[in-house]
Amino acid sequence: MNRVTCTIDGQTVTVPEGTALIEAARALGIEIPHFCYHPHLPVAGNCRMCVVEIQGSPKLEIACNTAAREGMAVRTDTEAVRAARRANMEFLLANHPLDCPICDQSGECLLQEYWDAHARHASRLRDPKVTKGKRIDLGDDLVLDQERCIACTRCVRFSETVTRTGDLVLLGRSDHQRIGPATGARITHAYQGCLAEICPVGALTSRSFRFRKRVWWLEEVDSICPGCATGCNVRVCVQDDTVHRILARRNDAVNRSWACDEGRGLYRELAAPERPLLGRVAGRPAAREEALAAAAARLGSARRPGLVLGGQATCEALLALVRLHERALPAARLFHVPGPDPGRRAWSDGILVHADKDPDTRGVRLLATCAGGVEDGEALARALADEALDLLLVLEDDALGRLGIPAAPGVVALAFHGHRSAAAAEVLVPVAGCWEQDGTYVNAAGRVQRLHRAVRPAGEAVPAYVALHRLGALLGVDLGCSTSEAAAGALAETISGFPREVGPEGVVLPPPLDGGTP
Amino acid sequence: MPNRPTGRKRTLAERTYLLPVLRDLARTGAHLVRTVARPEARVTVEYPEVEKPMSPRFKGAHRLLLRDDGGPRCVACMCCAMVCPAKCITIVAREDPEDPQEKVPVRFEIDLLRCIFCGYCVEACPKDAIRMDTGIFELNAFARQDLVHGMAYLTNLAKDARAEAAVFHRQHPEAAPPGFLPDEPLPVDPEILARPRRRVPPVTRE
Repeated sequence: MNRVTCTIDGQTVTVPEGTALIEAARALGIEIPHFCYHPHLPVAGNCRMCVVEIQGSPKLEIACNTAAREGMAVRTDTEAVRAARRANMEFLLANHPLDCPICDQSGECLLQEYWDAHARHASRLRDPKVTKGKRIDLGDDLVLDQERCIACTRCVRFSETVTRTGDLVLLGRSDHQRIGPATGARITHAYQGCLAEICPVGALTSRSFRFRKRVWWLEEVDSICPGCATGCNVRVCVQDDTVHRILARRNDAVNRSWACDEGRGLYRELAAPERPLLGRVAGRPAAREEALAAAAARLGSARRPGLVLGGQATCEALLALVRLHERALPAARLFHVPGPDPGRRAWSDGILVHADKDPDTRGVRLLATCAGGVEDGEALARALADEALDLLLVLEDDALGRLGIPAAPGVVALAFHGHRSAAAAEVLVPVAGCWEQDGTYVNAAGRVQRLHRAVRPAGEAVPAYVALHRLGALLGVDLGCSTSEAAAGALAETISGFPREVGPEGVVLPPPLDGGTP
Repeated sequence: MPNRPTGRKRTLAERTYLLPVLRDLARTGAHLVRTVARPEARVTVEYPEVEKPMSPRFKGAHRLLLRDDGGPRCVACMCCAMVCPAKCITIVAREDPEDPQEKVPVRFEIDLLRCIFCGYCVEACPKDAIRMDTGIFELNAFARQDLVHGMAYLTNLAKDARAEAAVFHRQHPEAAPPGFLPDEPLPVDPEILARPRRRVPPVTRE
């Protein structure tokens, strides 16, 4: 592709031909203010906030819809540009209800930020403000306030190009222009959270997050969504050791700027009432250490143990289990039961949602190769029916539920969810959820991505690799997985070619590890 | 000689101490006569039977104001909780489909044990919902929890003695009168509100 070199505010930048000035400026670290432009939506060019001065051009041009050309000299901070931004902000805010105290966008609202940075004017409006619909129920997770809307049409373009549902339209003209549902019906698609997230003002807000926290209190931790094998990059918003919402994190190779509503709602699993927070031994609540000791005693005396590698476990935990097999339980048989857990639908939509609801199935396959192969669900069902196993260690997945087996004798479960295998377990060890631990997932496309701990594990839970490391210690072997760093290092040592550092965007597995798609 | 910082020799009158003592006795006596003759000129008050007038700017215990329709003015924007240097304000917000203002506080607590009475919360409030104009400075209670003022207490005007009693009775239900409902908004007797506070006239110093 041809590359062009242009000058923005005196700095020279070389970008591919066709790159919008707004992106060229971003490459230089110059942020041009904008409402309607979004890198993953078609350009509308209607907010007029990103105007810049181009040498030789008689009028100001919008930076979102002007491609960088060879030798172009652009200035983003001249008096003409500043005056245009000021005037633009005055128009945008003329009828704004200014209900920032009750608006959830407050604190991450572009109107607030740009007024402060570029306008700082007082209202000159003498007529009463135009009133429009407020608190409109637009969907299960979406509330519309038409007064706050600046008609940037990001949501309309999202509905047209991403979900392709076309269920939002711009209605009316002039100062009566507003966003509304195209057919009057509520929005039913699975990306309502994206609409609330891309809205640059408080017109579209998420019902599940509405009024729960002010955004300036939330700390954001970069992590990965455990909802399916796509492995969307997310930001986990935390205050007081509690996850309050999940936002998408931009990763052009995985999820662009989006995340589905199912994934956004997964933080509720951390506080689900059925989640085990304490260990259990033979139906009696037990401290974690007691449960681990009971598990170690049973594993030590088992003659025909089976170990289930779970697709919801991190690669670190899977490695710990494989090492436990190698070093302490060579007689054990390894199984993997593909998903989804009962209660979850194996659906996909071609946008983000993957039919495989386990975030780390590829990780299971990698570690299975390491361990010399695993047996499938059918083999496990047969083994259980023939009573060929006297103990079954289940790592995270609901192996019994997936096979439709109500109960099995001698189940040791390391469980985050309160699923059937956890309920049927003789020994239960509570383990941390995805956002409660550091770890690694390999998504369906073979991209290695790292989780970061956003909150402390609830109750007695610890990351599964820590629990397994302790189990190994009780059985007299060192698994080398006591911390996330040690476990990640062990992964890179064990699987040759497995990346040690993956960075915020993840790393695709190098050949030959990348072979085969699920 | 020690005790003579000026280096001046004491006079006989000073050395006897008699004249200064008599002079100060005369001053005390004059005050006594004057305050007996003109009580309004007294600079001291017989607190707690009599209260001194408070400056209108005095920052006392907080109260939450109500809208004309009776709902709380507070929209739970959390500005006061944000600005509070003592972190003594706890607010939990909720959406109220009935309420015209969308967002209402379900919990609003001020921990007066932590409060430093700086008044930033009043400054920060965009709705003029919180004020510190009750003039109440006598903050005492039988239990720490009684000085954590909740919504009901704050909106019902801490001037009401019955509100104070109700706070106590919440903590000690065994001592509560029959029919006391701990979760009900505290009763405000209009008669109590109308009752003028005992005040001495403003002090005018010569």
